[in-house]
Amino acid sequence: MSVPTDYDLSLRDVLKFFPPSTTAVKDVSLDVGPGTFTVLLGLSGSGKSTLLRLLNGLHTPTEGEVRVLGTDVAQAGRSELRRLRRDIGMVFQQFHLVGSMSTLENVCTGALGSLRGPRVGLFSYPKSVRQRALEQLERVGLADHRFQRADTLSGGQQQRVAVARALVQRPRILLADEPVASLDPESSNQVMSLIARIAREDSLTVVCSLHQVELALQWGDRVFGLRHGELVLDDSSCNITHERAMSIYGNSAVLPAAAGAGAAATSGAAL
Amino acid sequence: MAVQTDERPQTTPTPDAGSGAGTAAASSDGRTLPKPSPRGITVAVVLGLFLAGGIWSVIDLRINFASLMDSWANTQNFMGRALPLDFPAWDELLRGTLTTLSIVLLATLLAVLISIPCALMAARTTCRSAALRTSSRVFIVIMRAIPELILALFFLRIYGFGAGAIAGILALGLHSVGMLGKMYADAIEDHDDGPRQAQETAGAKRIQQIFGSVMPGITPAVIAHALHRFDINLRASVILGWVGVAGLGADLRAAQGVGNYPRLLALGLIVLLLCILVEIISGRLRMKLLGRAEPSRFGVLWAWQKLRSRWSGERLETRPSLGSRTIPPWDGARIARFSHIGLTLALILASVVYIEWSALLALLASWTDADVSSWEVFTGEFHVAAFFTGLVDLPEESQRWFPPHDGDIQSTIFAQILVTIQIALAATFLGALLALPVGALAARNVAPRPGLAQFFRMVIVVTRGVPELILALLLIIIMGLGAVAGTLALALGAMGLLSKLVADSIEDTDVRIQDALVTGGAGRAQVFFAATMRQSAPAVVSHVLYQLDVNFRSATLLGIVGAGGIGYQLEMARRTLQWEVVTYILICVVAVVLLIEAVSVFMRRLMR
Repeated sequence: MSVPTDYDLSLRDVLKFFPPSTTAVKDVSLDVGPGTFTVLLGLSGSGKSTLLRLLNGLHTPTEGEVRVLGTDVAQAGRSELRRLRRDIGMVFQQFHLVGSMSTLENVCTGALGSLRGPRVGLFSYPKSVRQRALEQLERVGLADHRFQRADTLSGGQQQRVAVARALVQRPRILLADEPVASLDPESSNQVMSLIARIAREDSLTVVCSLHQVELALQWGDRVFGLRHGELVLDDSSCNITHERAMSIYGNSAVLPAAAGAGAAATSGAAL
Repeated sequence: MAVQTDERPQTTPTPDAGSGAGTAAASSDGRTLPKPSPRGITVAVVLGLFLAGGIWSVIDLRINFASLMDSWANTQNFMGRALPLDFPAWDELLRGTLTTLSIVLLATLLAVLISIPCALMAARTTCRSAALRTSSRVFIVIMRAIPELILALFFLRIYGFGAGAIAGILALGLHSVGMLGKMYADAIEDHDDGPRQAQETAGAKRIQQIFGSVMPGITPAVIAHALHRFDINLRASVILGWVGVAGLGADLRAAQGVGNYPRLLALGLIVLLLCILVEIISGRLRMKLLGRAEPSRFGVLWAWQKLRSRWSGERLETRPSLGSRTIPPWDGARIARFSHIGLTLALILASVVYIEWSALLALLASWTDADVSSWEVFTGEFHVAAFFTGLVDLPEESQRWFPPHDGDIQSTIFAQILVTIQIALAATFLGALLALPVGALAARNVAPRPGLAQFFRMVIVVTRGVPELILALLLIIIMGLGAVAGTLALALGAMGLLSKLVADSIEDTDVRIQDALVTGGAGRAQVFFAATMRQSAPAVVSHVLYQLDVNFRSATLLGIVGAGGIGYQLEMARRTLQWEVVTYILICVVAVVLLIEAVSVFMRRLMR
């Protein structure tokens, strides 16, 4: 099943259709090389979330092929998919922490994929996992809040806990679905720079969906623009002007997908 | 009258709101009232039928002032014979109380243990297989449809009359799955699915997801519903005493059987106190276990707290330096939380030991060769081994119950079922009649003065605290056997619950609309009918229909103690060991239960 490739992620003519009548993603082909900070840019409903969920097998493509870390996601069996998901961390717009659990235990749940059997309470996690979780909490600057209930934290703090949870998996790829859409500008900035810093330190491949052009150009090495499920922009962020990025929202003609769709790992963008 | 206000908003806009604009025919076709829609007509007709049924039942059952006045003399007479109260010896009382509490605790525990997996299989978010979901839902509905009484009768037959405890546990436990399973499934589906998704994304297995995010998420709901069910089961277990379930109910029946009123009244008082005590404790536990839940403003606990001075200021936690700890330190809050969990477990264990006392003694004796016959002070009647031998008897026992037979009293059975329906209708009607004003006045946004709202809330707390069974027993003695006593007891019970629901749904209404009308110069009554009542009407009507469902079940149960209706026939058939007749009656009862439920589900859909 596993075939070595140069790309961490590669999509070929992917189409995702939701019955009865929604085509969320249409004929998308793209490749992302290791260590790239990629941004999916588009309005809500443009297919960003679906695309992200295709990458970790939460959705299976109706047509086309999704290859992640060399594995064909649609063909992967249960345990293979589970193994693949361990290598892919994910951060969500709504944080998705268990509010009644302590911050540290929430971070520990990130390691469930590599543990056997159900876990209830911090005691039930091996000490090594707890320590790893604590290290990640320290990295996101929330170690002092480790025994606090997760729902007592602010939005920005919760998102940082969620990042720590994703890191406990020791992922190779980090998916972020609108990670700052529910945050105020200051927390947004904090969370985005945290993700960028960690991506650099751990040389993670990041796929982050955003709807603000400014953030996309500021943080992304490479930007994919989506409109109505179609890929309308694919370029290195330093080649994209603000106007060009804005045009994917407008009524102007669909921009042709950039020619060098295969030219993967891009130049070090403005960070 | 009261229910009329409910249905009026369904058909036409309230006159209070529309009359100002309707003076001149301004629009093109001149119509100022909408054409009645088929849906509106259906709702009005069905509600009208229920209303008519309620009034007819009240008249037909001869519930009127004359008969109430007649019983006044009886009351004095009864009080003369019932006082002074005769409390049983303390060990006898303790045995009854502990048996009842153990049965209820273990039944609720059994229900929770069955309900959680059922709910996990029934909820969309935790179960992918549609077939499994449907079958789990069907199981839950069936458990709800079969009254606990029927289950109790069945298990008593299997395990013999000595096994009053286990029959009670199984009957109450299984029937409770009908409510808890549904509540838990709803809780799972209503709960945010995000954390589970996040864990799925991280590669967690389904079972890990369930324990890692679904269970922690719904634990508060699990505990809250279980404690609520504990209250309900306590009341039900006492009634089941009439068919042979052990505990205080059995003692009450014995007292009623020989007409020992001082004893009956004393035991009734004990049950009443127990119900109130249980509500206080369960409210306390709920708050401790859930951390920061506010007690219901209609519970005994709330009233208790109101009477006491205000809660002392929140404890500020000082965090010691945590170092590299990955297990939280034992601070006060953590110790308290764990000690409550420990206390609950200890209580459960104690109940098991208590119910299984004699079995444990026997086990001990077989090891030590001691003579235990003299030890058995508190005799638990059931042995674990008997549970399994009982299961072996199941097929044979089932044969005795089939085929159902009407016992050549079919017309009596149907007549009595009709009486039971009448009791339910009349009780719901009277209860709603009382509940609408009481509930409205207990709502803070309607009551003219806060003091008045508080007074009516107290009224609701007191009414809800009194078990229907105790009321029914008193009324039976005062007014004689029959439907009037049952109806009035259920009406008061219905009033308690409905007022709370009415007050809650009125307080849930959107206050801005009320404000808008006040700004427009509307009076207090106009605002109430045009805005408040209009908004809460659908919720209130569905609560009333639900109450009808509850009342029919309760009326069947209360019939056993002599409060009129089919329950009495059931008890007769049971006493004469005509099990086919029991089955026949049970089928009829379940059919009516399902019918009422179907109607109320249909109505709720129409009114949504």
